[in-house]
Amino acid sequence: MNPDRRLVSAALLLLAVVALAVARELRSPTPKTLTPTLTGKPELCLTCHDGLEEISPSHPLATFGCVRCHGGNALALDKPLAHAGLRGGRNPSDFSVVEASCGGSDCHSGSAEAQRDHIHRAMTSVQATYAGAIAQVRRAFGAQPDAIARFGVFAIRDDRVVSARAVPELAPFDPVALGDPQPVRAFAANCLHCHLSAQPLMQPYYYRGTGCAACHVLYGSDGLSRSGDPAISKTEPGHPVAHRLTTAIPYTTCNACHSRGNYSLRQMAFLPRPDLPLSGAPLPEDRLRDIYQPIGQFTRCEWELDCIDCHTSTEAMGDGDLYSSKLDIQYIQCKTCHGTLTEPPRTATITDPNDVELRRARLNGRYMLQVGDTVVLTERGEKLGAVRFVDGKFLQTLKVSGQVLEVPLVTGSACQQKPDEQASRYCHACHAYTHP
Amino acid sequence: MSSRRPNFFYHLHPPFIPEREARFRYTFGLGGISAFLFLILAITGVLLTFFYVPTPEEAFPSLEIITFQVPFGWLMRHLHYWAAQAMVVAVVLHLLRVVFTGAYKPPRRFNTLIGLALLVITLLLNFTGYVLRWDEGTHWALVVGTHLVRETPLIGDALYYMVVGGPDPGPATAIRFYAWHILGLAVPAFLLIGWHVFRVRRDGGISHRPRDHDRAPRLPRARLVQTETLAMLVVLAALILLSILIPAPLGARADLPARPDKAQAPWFFLWIQALLRFLPPVWAGVLIPLGLLLLLALIPYAIDRSATGVAEWFNRQGRLAQVVVVLMFSGIVILTLIEMGQ
Repeated sequence: MNPDRRLVSAALLLLAVVALAVARELRSPTPKTLTPTLTGKPELCLTCHDGLEEISPSHPLATFGCVRCHGGNALALDKPLAHAGLRGGRNPSDFSVVEASCGGSDCHSGSAEAQRDHIHRAMTSVQATYAGAIAQVRRAFGAQPDAIARFGVFAIRDDRVVSARAVPELAPFDPVALGDPQPVRAFAANCLHCHLSAQPLMQPYYYRGTGCAACHVLYGSDGLSRSGDPAISKTEPGHPVAHRLTTAIPYTTCNACHSRGNYSLRQMAFLPRPDLPLSGAPLPEDRLRDIYQPIGQFTRCEWELDCIDCHTSTEAMGDGDLYSSKLDIQYIQCKTCHGTLTEPPRTATITDPNDVELRRARLNGRYMLQVGDTVVLTERGEKLGAVRFVDGKFLQTLKVSGQVLEVPLVTGSACQQKPDEQASRYCHACHAYTHP
Repeated sequence: MSSRRPNFFYHLHPPFIPEREARFRYTFGLGGISAFLFLILAITGVLLTFFYVPTPEEAFPSLEIITFQVPFGWLMRHLHYWAAQAMVVAVVLHLLRVVFTGAYKPPRRFNTLIGLALLVITLLLNFTGYVLRWDEGTHWALVVGTHLVRETPLIGDALYYMVVGGPDPGPATAIRFYAWHILGLAVPAFLLIGWHVFRVRRDGGISHRPRDHDRAPRLPRARLVQTETLAMLVVLAALILLSILIPAPLGARADLPARPDKAQAPWFFLWIQALLRFLPPVWAGVLIPLGLLLLLALIPYAIDRSATGVAEWFNRQGRLAQVVVVLMFSGIVILTLIEMGQ
């Protein structure tokens, strides 16, 4: 080839490559910028995630943006780089990262007095530590003399022990290092599926988050996303229904752990239930028949209400103390709402505009509450804002559906319950619906 | 541009070039390609300075802005990266060519030293540029690399403070690396390249067989310009294609002093990282590299003082110098491979 033709060829080559570069430049997405007021730093996440739901009204997108909670690289438009350093992968509320994502004294690591110590409460709760089951199993197999908790799934201490039943700290449970007998080791290997840090089984009805999201982010029974975010797969299971935090937690979320199978102490294995309805089917008409385990009896409130209609956030999330058993923190009784033969439920009137129950009602969004309302009091003296005393009647607003029911009282009924027999089995003597 | 008008660039660019030594298989165009790569680096580098912010907080975000928001910013950054890597390769190969063809011999001994200075500056430019990324990959450079500086006998601490700007990497470090990269290294490199090319002309043009000089066939400047243009077009096209296909690396933001899972030296210093496994830091990081540099500098002055064999591939007179260089670079390549396998 003569020199001129070589030059022309090389020039054409360069032109072709420059054309490729221009094509790439034109193909790159137009950045969609959001500058949250809390950080004042621009974020480009919405370039891909345009359409994602706001996580909650308490965390407005315009205020928080994405990076304050999720981490990651705000200015990258390349998926691996943008997602590098995401806290907890998809879930910034996982307990391994929750302090960085959700903590801070202005956020969820605030004082216990102001009821802002959510992270401490959740991480010390028996759902997080699994200390109760660990203590029971270790005692059953002779590894410890009593059922007092010494170990949790992670090490944790409580510098402010309030209850006489609580322990100050838990060491990490490592049965091999402890020299525990073989059944305890098998328990550790096979049965630690249901605490708040455990990864869920990736199967229909088991999909859930970890950490705070285990309860406060809802998953479908099929684990599929219905989010408006085009970047989230709608066919890959394992995503929450939507990018949405809620305190209106339906029984299905609790059931992801609490009604999904049984632990066989003989086999030291978790046996998933084989009898659940097809996933993706609409919620069953008959919750008792389709969802409840065919082992027992249930009163109507147990299968018509949601779990959180009776059980308080203190019972579920704990009160900040480390307990050896869920029984140490379960205190709601039938009489709390139904009263006894001689006494109606205890009540109190809300007078403080900063009453935490007003905040809970606002966050839940299903029931209205205002100063001057009279509500039921629990055994611990907490106000149950969803059960109000109005015109001589006790009216309960369900925290998930918003439906309003009148609470039947023991007084004046045929019920013969005794004040000291409040466990559900006593109610089942008369009010049982046996599983069909 | 008439060749009769006086022009400063004629001090650097010869009117004629001996035909034999102008062949591609004599020089492979490595010196010229290195200079062209430096030109690309200077242009893309100047463009990058308009957007880069040399502070620990803003360095990484500003790179993201350059890469994802500035029009053709990605091309500037990737070109800068690939030209820098290519320059390390081109400069090293140029050095090997010079040794293997005896081009270091008189009267080009001093220019060999200038070339060695340029090699060192090229590596330091690459190293400082690598740190300016301020992502997790720069941990080795920032923490291990700078501590090696500290191992230098007598002046180690002073050097460390000069480079890092304090007891630990921080805001001063970013601005110092930035200043070193541009003012402390790129500007001197520009001047030295000018001197290096000027010395090529001063020393009688490109190294060639002395006896052929007067009657040997020669090529005019126009042909030289043609060849150079061809090389520039091809090199630029290759770099742009590389930039499109393989982006310059950018990891997660550096989180000092947290150590990432795998802290690795930049590829051209992997051999030092390998040496650190076997030897104390002062040897691996300071004395051995300086010793190798001294050895290279001694080639024209002590190892091969002959003036014959110039422009002959693997000339007999320069055999010892060739063996020294082959051993040195084989060692470096083997250590690099060992470290890559770790």
